[in-house]
Amino acid sequence: MASKSQKGPMGSTAPNSDQINVRAAEQSKQSAIQEQKARELENEFKTKHFGVMGVLTWILDPGIRKSTRHMGDVQREKLKTDCGGSCRLLHIAGIYFFTKGFLLTRMVLDNKSSCQELPFDITSGSQHAPAPSNQQANGCWHQKSFDKAVVIIIDALRYDFTVPFVPKEESETAHLFHDNIPVLYETSINSPANAFLLPFIADAPTATLQRLKGLTTGTLPTFVDAGSNFAGTAIDEDNLVAQLHSAGKTLVQLGDDTWQALYPGYFDANLTRPFDSFNVWDLHTVDNGVNEHLFPLLRPENKSKWDVIFGHYLGVDHAGHRYGPNHAAMASKLQEMDRVIRDIIAALDDDTLLVVMGDHGMDIKGDHGGESDDEVEAALWMYSKRGTFGRTSSESLLPPKNAKERPIPQIDLVPTLSLMLGIPIPFNNLGSPIEEAFAGPKGNDWANLATVSRLTAAQIKRYQAAYEISRGGADDEESLSLWSAAEAEWKSGSKSFTSKSTAVRSSYELYRKYQRHTLDVCRGLWTTFDVPSMIQGVALLFGGIALLVLYARGMRNDRTELSSQLLSFVGVGSGAGAALGSVLSLFGFTEMSTIDLSVFLAAVGSMAGSAVVMVKKPANLTIPLPNGMWGWLAVFFTVSQSVGFASNSYTIWEDEILLFFLTTFGVCAGISSMRQKTTTDRVLGVYHSVLFVILGRLASFSRLCREEQMPFCRSTYYASSTSSISAPWQLGIPFAVAFFLPAVIRSFYSGSKSYEGAATLWISYAFRFGLLITSIFWMLEGADDGEWLPVSKETLKTVRVFLAQLVLAIAFAAGTGAYIYSKPCISISVNKPPEDPNAPPAPIIAGQEQKPRTTVTILGFGNMYGTRFFFLVINFALAIILMQKPMGQGAIALLVWQILSLLEILDTNALTLSNSPIGPIVLGLLGSFYFFKTGHQATPSSIQWETAFIPLSTIKYPWTPIFVVLNTFGAQILAALAVPLTVLWKRPLQTSDRVAADASASSKGAKSANPATRLLSDVTQAVATHTLYLATINLATTMWAGHLRRHLMLYRIFSPRFMMGAGVLAIVDVVLMVFAVGGVRWSTLSVGEIFGW
Amino acid sequence: MSQPPAEKPSAPPVNILPSQLARIYSFVHPALLLALAASRFEAVVTNPVQELLNDLPWLALLQLFYVILCVPPAGSLETTSSGDNEEKKKASPRSPSAPRPGKSGHRRKQASGKNVWAGLWARLMPALLSVTLTTFIATPVLAALLVLFGAPLTTHNAETVLCAAHMAFLSASSLVYAHGTDGLVWKEVWGIARPADAVWGGALGTGLGAWFGAIPIPLDWDRPWQAFPITILAGAYIGYAAGSLISRTPFLYGKRVQFVPEVIEEDDKKTN
Repeated sequence: MASKSQKGPMGSTAPNSDQINVRAAEQSKQSAIQEQKARELENEFKTKHFGVMGVLTWILDPGIRKSTRHMGDVQREKLKTDCGGSCRLLHIAGIYFFTKGFLLTRMVLDNKSSCQELPFDITSGSQHAPAPSNQQANGCWHQKSFDKAVVIIIDALRYDFTVPFVPKEESETAHLFHDNIPVLYETSINSPANAFLLPFIADAPTATLQRLKGLTTGTLPTFVDAGSNFAGTAIDEDNLVAQLHSAGKTLVQLGDDTWQALYPGYFDANLTRPFDSFNVWDLHTVDNGVNEHLFPLLRPENKSKWDVIFGHYLGVDHAGHRYGPNHAAMASKLQEMDRVIRDIIAALDDDTLLVVMGDHGMDIKGDHGGESDDEVEAALWMYSKRGTFGRTSSESLLPPKNAKERPIPQIDLVPTLSLMLGIPIPFNNLGSPIEEAFAGPKGNDWANLATVSRLTAAQIKRYQAAYEISRGGADDEESLSLWSAAEAEWKSGSKSFTSKSTAVRSSYELYRKYQRHTLDVCRGLWTTFDVPSMIQGVALLFGGIALLVLYARGMRNDRTELSSQLLSFVGVGSGAGAALGSVLSLFGFTEMSTIDLSVFLAAVGSMAGSAVVMVKKPANLTIPLPNGMWGWLAVFFTVSQSVGFASNSYTIWEDEILLFFLTTFGVCAGISSMRQKTTTDRVLGVYHSVLFVILGRLASFSRLCREEQMPFCRSTYYASSTSSISAPWQLGIPFAVAFFLPAVIRSFYSGSKSYEGAATLWISYAFRFGLLITSIFWMLEGADDGEWLPVSKETLKTVRVFLAQLVLAIAFAAGTGAYIYSKPCISISVNKPPEDPNAPPAPIIAGQEQKPRTTVTILGFGNMYGTRFFFLVINFALAIILMQKPMGQGAIALLVWQILSLLEILDTNALTLSNSPIGPIVLGLLGSFYFFKTGHQATPSSIQWETAFIPLSTIKYPWTPIFVVLNTFGAQILAALAVPLTVLWKRPLQTSDRVAADASASSKGAKSANPATRLLSDVTQAVATHTLYLATINLATTMWAGHLRRHLMLYRIFSPRFMMGAGVLAIVDVVLMVFAVGGVRWSTLSVGEIFGW
Repeated sequence: MSQPPAEKPSAPPVNILPSQLARIYSFVHPALLLALAASRFEAVVTNPVQELLNDLPWLALLQLFYVILCVPPAGSLETTSSGDNEEKKKASPRSPSAPRPGKSGHRRKQASGKNVWAGLWARLMPALLSVTLTTFIATPVLAALLVLFGAPLTTHNAETVLCAAHMAFLSASSLVYAHGTDGLVWKEVWGIARPADAVWGGALGTGLGAWFGAIPIPLDWDRPWQAFPITILAGAYIGYAAGSLISRTPFLYGKRVQFVPEVIEEDDKKTN
């Protein structure tokens, strides 16, 4: 390669000595012109640089509205000047619209209901609390009806399993799952006062974890609510179990161990028997275990040991997952459950309430998670030997024939059970008391019904008030009028105080109406995917990608030339779109809010505007199809990974797949290197390919397994799979990094004789010093964990924080300053005859040497742009290494090494100057790969929050989130920073004169463009290609998450991956634009300063 | 960047020996291997290590039988590979019926009666070399590649080595037999730049097949055959059979995988 001229004897001798005197006069004039031209070129570069940054900003990043979140004011000022205050975001807008429709948010209030405080205190103040003396004995808010309860959950007990089969058509015959668990129906028919059976409708997602939350908190599941609990950690909200616990009840839990994760510490440790719920293939272990421990407890001698038993059977659910409902195994399982319930009835005493319910149903294949009828229609059956249940009308005497009749939402269990057992209704409850449970044996106890309904409604009102205080907004009118009407009826009814009073009855009905209305309002707010909005988001992302493809791969000419035009069209387009949006919504053509519609149309308009600019000159366009093996390989990596995200398996095993792809790339690079003609290229190429592959495999030993990867994965990131601290031997890794990494970087610099100038100080001293402090930091951290040193924890922490801040100061404060002012990594030696010229390192311009026989030797000439720019990567690498755990530091070091190796591969295979997409794409793969190798997974629970406290002792904004981002997305950030290097590494020096000389020599016609802007254009293309990779991944994960929004694994796998993709895209967009492209400015300026333009 | 590095003369594509038996068996062999592999599939799923170990000698024998019967041994072509390969490449597109000059010379040598022993020797030596190199070089190299592609390093070592050995006998044994230790040829092999023929097609097919064989492993179908070496080997066997047959079609025979100028989608993915 041309770039191999590592040591260019550049200056050479002056041309013809006889011309020198003649020229002497013109010399000054010419040099003035030269200088002016250079200044022009420099300014052109600077302007175009701004232009490119503007374009990137538009593609990538926030426009004015959202930019506040991401950027400092300075940056925003700059952008305003660039794009005239009108640029819009494409990615952010797309993600915004999708997220708006997809991520359902609900605030979790941690208010708790308390026994002493009735819900009326806040709302009306009219009623004072009952005397607290006999409260505990008789129940908190209401006279309790039972002391004890046995709550049996038969996982996935669908309603139609429990009622007699009624053919809908003549030909329909009973399935295997029908009529096998008749006990519930029989008891409800035979002794209505003892039992009732109702359809019990679950809220999606119908996964056990979310269902248990609904069944105990009485509130609706939403995404973010689920998102805060990905690890299945404890529920923060007020709930039944916590209330029972604080009422002093002894709780026992048997069966499914999900309960343990949700309610840790609430259950009696001696009697509780959790069982692993993971093994879907095992139908009997859990059920037998529950039986084994449940029935002894029901014996009279053990009665005093417990108050409430939660028994959770999984057999039916597992039979469904394994065989599907229409299978003999399901029939026998249901028969077994029938026997179990009969046995429990037989063992039950009078004071104990028995509840049997399904937490969700199952679809025809026996799976669940979604929102289809079969999945949400579970069954609820309550039984007591005392005979307290009633029906308010004769139509409701029989259990509903199917789940469409008289269904109740599952959250109704919460107030019902609370009031029956005499505990406060959990604060966030939205359910209503179940009529049958409070109507009295004759079904006419309206006073009781009105009382419980009023209590529940008041609690709901209190919750709504608290929610609105935290969220802002107001009660809607209908709820208010319902409430006041109910209160009015209640007051008039309470005067007469007979059970049959119509006023009491209508107050009950109005309270109930109020409850259901509120539930509907909340459901509307929290649980509906807004599919049109999701589609808008996906459309924007898709449009953005189409434009990126065109911009990155489909344009022949200089990208920088388009900037100003592009930006003005984008501005006009988005302005027009925004205006149209506001007009449309003002005149009420759409349902969307003004802002949303304006943003959407602005984004569409800007895309249209830019498309016009890019397509205007068809001559500039090429078909953006890859050519050659590398292009196809790049497309193959991106597309196959994107397609793979449709499968939960490939999402789970993303880390291994990335290794597979990276090794594939390495092998292809080795093959390609074998084909190189020159021996140097061949040997170097093969060497670096082998190195690349081995380094990747080495890094793959650092793993943190996600739950779904078990048992085929062994975590090595921490000391053991159950700890989150490093093993002692791992504390050696930072020292090894400090010792080896600078040496490795140095060897790459020496390869092109670039270990000159600032490089020595930078790499071998500053960088190594920073790394050494980092190692000491982590050694102290280990000492703290292991208590090896006789020093107080506070002292250690202070020292550590100081050390960490010192490293950050070196990396960012000193590093950035030095980066801006540093000279290129070259050493210029001038060998000349004794007579001394005044300006030794004059600009090296052909034919312009002042003195004859002056030889200028420039070391490091072959890789000026690359080595100069790489300083930026080093700065960030230092900061990112500090933020990683020791194992992750090793991984990041390997990443830096692999990046350098990749750059050499690109160079020896002539892929730097041809703008091949493979470099930026492989950097994308590397970034994603090392994300996993630094102890992360695409699950929120793998975020290492504690790393925010490496350089700080308390939470400080904005630093804390920045540090967490540096830890989480460090690998992607580093890879993104290296993107410009794919065109800068060993790029030969190009100044206008040299290019012109080349052009005339090869008589190809003058290349008018400023070579610096050509460089900028190449960088832009590489950056856009890298973005294209991330944007495609983001689009794919977004689309799959939206498409699979009913998938069982949505909240465990697809949503987290979508959020990660969006996060990476947003962050890398900023890094690429601000730091990578911004950094090119300084490195190019510093080269231009010495060699001219 | 370089085109197919054909600047120096290298060995021409290998032709199947012209005898009737050789030509017939060369078509039977891939199918036979596939059929045998399919018949042992259940056993491999049940006990991969034992079964793969048991099958290995048979695979080696079959491959040796195939190369000795059908493939000209290393050295026999050296006389012809001197200068005229360019022309040969043009001429060769598939005419096994018309014996090619190099081959016929070889046949004559063998047919000349007196040298029966020499002929046998000329085939046994490459065969021995093939077994040795396949066992001691190709197998470790392929095992290392498997590990680099993500095969476990701390466990499943027997599976990895056996998988590599099977792949080696599929791919490398005939390459070594046909080309010996010809540096130029091996340089082309590493550069995936050999002209397509039965031997090279089989080798490349083995690698590609193994690469694609890795795809079903992560899926959560819970099938026993998704265990580590099985799909990869299945892919390798299928790839071998397909590669060694397809590469002999007139459309592909003698062609080389192009890296830069033309688009050949998958052929260049990798070697495993």
